[in-house]
Amino acid sequence: MKFKDYYEILGVSRTATSDEIKKAYRKLAHQYHPDISKDPAGEEKFKEIGEAYATLKDSEKRAAYDALGSHPSGQEFRPPPNWSGSQGGQSYSFDDIDLSDLFANFTGRRQGEQHHGGHRPIPGQDYELAIQISLEDAYHGTMVDLNFTVPEYDNQGQLKRVAHTFKARIPKGVSHGQKLLLRGKGGKGANGGKNGNLYLNIGFIAHPLFRVAEHDLLIDLPVTVWEATLGATVKVPTLDGPVNLKIPAGMNSGKKLRIKDRGLPKQNQAHGDLFAVVQIVVSPNPSEQEIALMKQVAEISSFNPRVHFGLDTTNEK
Amino acid sequence: MKNDDAELLWLDEQHEVTASELLELSGLSAEELEWLVEAGALKPIRRVPAAVTQQSNAWCFSGQCLIAIRMVSRLKRDFDLAPDALSLTLVLLERIRMLEQQLQQKNSQA
Repeated sequence: MKFKDYYEILGVSRTATSDEIKKAYRKLAHQYHPDISKDPAGEEKFKEIGEAYATLKDSEKRAAYDALGSHPSGQEFRPPPNWSGSQGGQSYSFDDIDLSDLFANFTGRRQGEQHHGGHRPIPGQDYELAIQISLEDAYHGTMVDLNFTVPEYDNQGQLKRVAHTFKARIPKGVSHGQKLLLRGKGGKGANGGKNGNLYLNIGFIAHPLFRVAEHDLLIDLPVTVWEATLGATVKVPTLDGPVNLKIPAGMNSGKKLRIKDRGLPKQNQAHGDLFAVVQIVVSPNPSEQEIALMKQVAEISSFNPRVHFGLDTTNEK
Repeated sequence: MKNDDAELLWLDEQHEVTASELLELSGLSAEELEWLVEAGALKPIRRVPAAVTQQSNAWCFSGQCLIAIRMVSRLKRDFDLAPDALSLTLVLLERIRMLEQQLQQKNSQA
């Protein structure tokens, strides 16, 4: 087990009063609490701070922690023989556990002994996982492999961190930012306590073609000048295979063409729509003949798309 | 496809959670939940008929609100928030959620 200096984490001396410890904790909590901090390392940092405070704010735990002695942070150590936290018939495999697991358990046993003369049920911890899935997976529904480690008791009553691996079904109909709850899939409860829950935050991996607007999808549809002018029927990809889309004559850039029911599925069997956003694109390297024809168009056309500027255009070239 | 036997709950506006589920999942006390409703920070969708449950506060809430309720519950635990701060935080969280949703919609249209 690696030593963690809880006093150092909170930035207080080993002789700090409980008020000083509380003040130091609150200051750091404001800075690093994952619900308010924008620091990406905030969550890990706050876990340390919370762990340090949970032990040092409780006089009995603090005394037990002090009895572990002072070691450099990160150094491997074992609690001394007859350490108060290891009494009560519970045995540990000290190599596999974390200092925080030791103190979390310390509370459980102590309170259990006081109230029931036995072990108090300890509910399993809740976990949150962010899952990124592709639009294709969101469209069809998918199974994802979930992996994380949780502290657990084995058959010998030893506390260990174990890998938690299972498959979870992400049903059709999820949206970007969707939260799902898998009951009982968090950390295992101990002494008859309920298992914790697992919260999944679903995000969509950015797609090279489609953008997401709730259950609707948008795709940029590049068209040539002549397709936009004359109209055309073109093939457009969807998440369920390509479709033929009729582009009416006289389409301008930015115009949205709706392809009904080709968006993402909703929870009620319905689908969002796919919108093809017209973008007129000119050839990057036109042939001489194309240039010649364009010049002809320029000469014979009286079309002025800038008439609303209200400017005299007789000298424009 | 087998779902590994886990009970799956959608946390969004189309799904409901009961008051007892909300209490169990958030760690808030019944008094705190009642205060949030009383203060107008949390709006129940409806009340479950008395025949279905004997609980006095048999409210149903949008599954969406569990996310914010869990957050205020964590903030209460980690900062010792008073009931007033709890309800104000919840109101502000909801406002942030709405704004983020609008922003996301605007961005995806761009």
